[in-house]
Amino acid sequence: MSASPIRTQSIIGHMDADDRARVRLAVKDLNFYYNTFHGLKNVNLNFYDRQVTALIGPSGCGKSTLLRTFNRIYSLYPEQRAEGQILLDGRNILDPSIDLNELRSRIGMVFQKPTPFPMSIYDNVAFGLRLIERLPKADMDERVESALRRSALWDEVKDKLKQSGMGLSGGQQQRLCIARTIAQKPEVILFDEPTSALDPISTGKIEELIEQLRGEFTIAIVTHNMQQAARISQFTTFMYLGEVVEFGPTERIFMTPEKKRTQDYITGRFG
Amino acid sequence: MAAGSEALSYADRKSGSQVISLTGRNAIFRALCLSSAILVLAVLAGILIAMFIGGWPAFREFGLGFFTGSAWDTQNDQYGAWPAIAGTLSTAVIALIIGVPLSLGIAVFLTQLAPGWVRTPVATAVELLAAVPSIIYGMWGLFVFVPLFARFFQVPVSNLTEGLPIVGTILYSRSPTGLGVATAGIILAFMIVPFIASIARDMLAQIPTVLRESAYGIGCTTWEVVRYVLLPQAGVSIIGAIMLGLGRALGETMAVTFVIGNANRLSSSILDPGSTIASRIANEFNEALGLQMSALIATGCILFLVTFVVLVVARLLVARMKAL
Amino acid sequence: MNAASPLPADTPPAWGRVRASRRIADRILKVSATLFSLISVVVLFWILGMLLVQGGTSLSLDVFTKITPGPGSEGGGLVNAIAGSLVLTLLGIAVATPVGVLAGTYLVEYGRGSILAAVIGFLNDVLLSAPSILIGLFVYTLVVQPMGTYSGWAGAIALAIIALPVIVRTTADMLGLVPSTLREAGAALGAPTSLVTQRVTWRAAKAGIVTGILLALARIAGETAPLLFTALNNNFWFSPSLMGGVSNLPVTIFQFASAPYENWRQLAWAGALIITVTILLISIVARYALRKDIVR
Repeated sequence: MSASPIRTQSIIGHMDADDRARVRLAVKDLNFYYNTFHGLKNVNLNFYDRQVTALIGPSGCGKSTLLRTFNRIYSLYPEQRAEGQILLDGRNILDPSIDLNELRSRIGMVFQKPTPFPMSIYDNVAFGLRLIERLPKADMDERVESALRRSALWDEVKDKLKQSGMGLSGGQQQRLCIARTIAQKPEVILFDEPTSALDPISTGKIEELIEQLRGEFTIAIVTHNMQQAARISQFTTFMYLGEVVEFGPTERIFMTPEKKRTQDYITGRFG
Repeated sequence: MAAGSEALSYADRKSGSQVISLTGRNAIFRALCLSSAILVLAVLAGILIAMFIGGWPAFREFGLGFFTGSAWDTQNDQYGAWPAIAGTLSTAVIALIIGVPLSLGIAVFLTQLAPGWVRTPVATAVELLAAVPSIIYGMWGLFVFVPLFARFFQVPVSNLTEGLPIVGTILYSRSPTGLGVATAGIILAFMIVPFIASIARDMLAQIPTVLRESAYGIGCTTWEVVRYVLLPQAGVSIIGAIMLGLGRALGETMAVTFVIGNANRLSSSILDPGSTIASRIANEFNEALGLQMSALIATGCILFLVTFVVLVVARLLVARMKAL
Repeated sequence: MNAASPLPADTPPAWGRVRASRRIADRILKVSATLFSLISVVVLFWILGMLLVQGGTSLSLDVFTKITPGPGSEGGGLVNAIAGSLVLTLLGIAVATPVGVLAGTYLVEYGRGSILAAVIGFLNDVLLSAPSILIGLFVYTLVVQPMGTYSGWAGAIALAIIALPVIVRTTADMLGLVPSTLREAGAALGAPTSLVTQRVTWRAAKAGIVTGILLALARIAGETAPLLFTALNNNFWFSPSLMGGVSNLPVTIFQFASAPYENWRQLAWAGALIITVTILLISIVARYALRKDIVR
């Protein structure tokens, strides 16, 4: 199993000629510890501008752990720590001087379960926005509406913006969480198994949405569902036991994986 | 009951001579359990009835004037509950004003801020504070807190506010001994903090981790997470916890009796001595006769009804959270 | 392969958009929450320190061998008050335990889902926080007035009423934690609920129920207000029939603490130390017993 840095050049080589994608998030020699447990081992990985990168692998392989280093949400737990570098547009976000509140408004996250805040639908979206910008009422209304439209939720909620976000269905709640995230205009959006608690129809809507959001945001998505990874991502990373086994364009990873373990996982022989 | 009848036939087969069958024993046991449970209701009802019957002569004698009257005159047998009611309410309000921020701060510290090695000892200390008997708080209040309070708060504040309108009325103390309504409120605050804090902590701890993480995930500071997400999510149950504290503050007796100064007249200053319903009952009941005793029980009846309502609402609010 | 624009992304806004006011509010919360927690720990140690200093210097063998002194008499101890407190507390627990455990059992084993059980469970929680002085008044009108005399029995009944809801609540909670598969296994053998409860469920919840009894013990051991009008207090050995005033520690502390006699005040401090240490020890043991139960 190779822990050598991914050869970016060869990946670009697989891409279309006019797709000169820029690296937004670069992971360099990342190690992660949970107390003494070594959860991530020398991870090196790039995430490209306005591309969807899927992280797949068996449970416990470290894919969620990796995602949770990008907005440093792990630092809520003192027993967890990361070493190495994660560069967001060249700025190391693991640096202790980084303002976590600002980092998290730039790298948004959508969780396994829908988590509407205990406030109205409107405020759920406006809340995150108010944290970073002071806008006049009219501008705020416009930004909220735009975020809800881009989350394909506007038509369903436009008549009940003052009602609690908790009253929506599971799928609507998850789209509300996406609206909340994109309202902040983040540079990167992290999805941590965003459809694992949803029915197939809601899942389909979320997948469509991610497809559309790719035009604006750099996206990383953890999923246990390989079909989902194949459907919505441009790049796929296969992880196993805390290491990146293989990374490349989704088509290649699924059609002609280089590593035997990747092939075994994708064909369902283990995992 | 199906299981019971099967057991009966089994028991009959096994030992027909058995005087009381298993089913019979079950019925007896069930009746014992039920009557014990009914006893809980009976005690509560009994308290209410006893208070009402005992207080009836005073209610009948003074009517509604009993609630508003300020006289407490054993010579002429004139009694009014207002000073004690006012003392009870003002000590409880002071206790809440001080105790609620303290309690919520502790709950936030224990659930959001404290590293693991600090959390357990602090949580234990808070729970032990709940176990310290009321009379010990009274002694601490009287011998430790009262002198400090008189010297560093009451005297300077009285000097500052003497003669001032409104502020002077509320805060000027004629005899700055340290005893008074404010002192009782502060001691009560320390006494209710462990109760409110531990319920509030449980409520905050019950909130799913993923909600907390998503609040941090959009860049909230801890203050914003607590203020806009966690507290509204815990919602009414926090209010329930506060009302449980209020119920405790209203009926607390010994600590208040030590530090409130036990004055029967009503002063407009919270730094002056006063009395609460509970402290007055504790002080006077054993020497009281006739109408005075009835008046004391009548104030007890008022206290019971007020705390009953507060506690019922509190329990309903707390239970609503648990049901979610 | 994708619809991404080949143009570079919009330049992201510059860092540093977190307003200072947000940081200040956050800092205020963190500092005050930490400070408030510190205050509560300090108050606990302050109270304990006060008791150790004042009570420790007043402790002597006399405290445990001599009876409480009358007004103006020299020396004296607390032996009659300690003994009286032991008798009242244990009597109270002895009455409250069977009633409380049976009532808690009714709530879970027989009444689960019924309106009656819900109402009783709810009102039990109200009784749990009812002002203890009113319970004293209640027992006064119920026992002391008809009998025409203060008595240890009245005191014990008052304490039992305070202990009762604590035991009911913990018993019901602990029985509720016993997995229903255990009950079903018992019922499948043809045993009626009474037998399953006594032989299986109670045993499974034993540690929890004992914890409840210990917590109730800790609660009533320091109760003063309900004893004022029931057991009263005096400076003599109480009669074995427990009729008339029965000396007890809490009321003795109350009467001695701010008395004009130096030896009374000394004894009040010694009593306060004894009672607090006892109660805190019982609380810690109860907590430990419960923790062990949960781990198991």
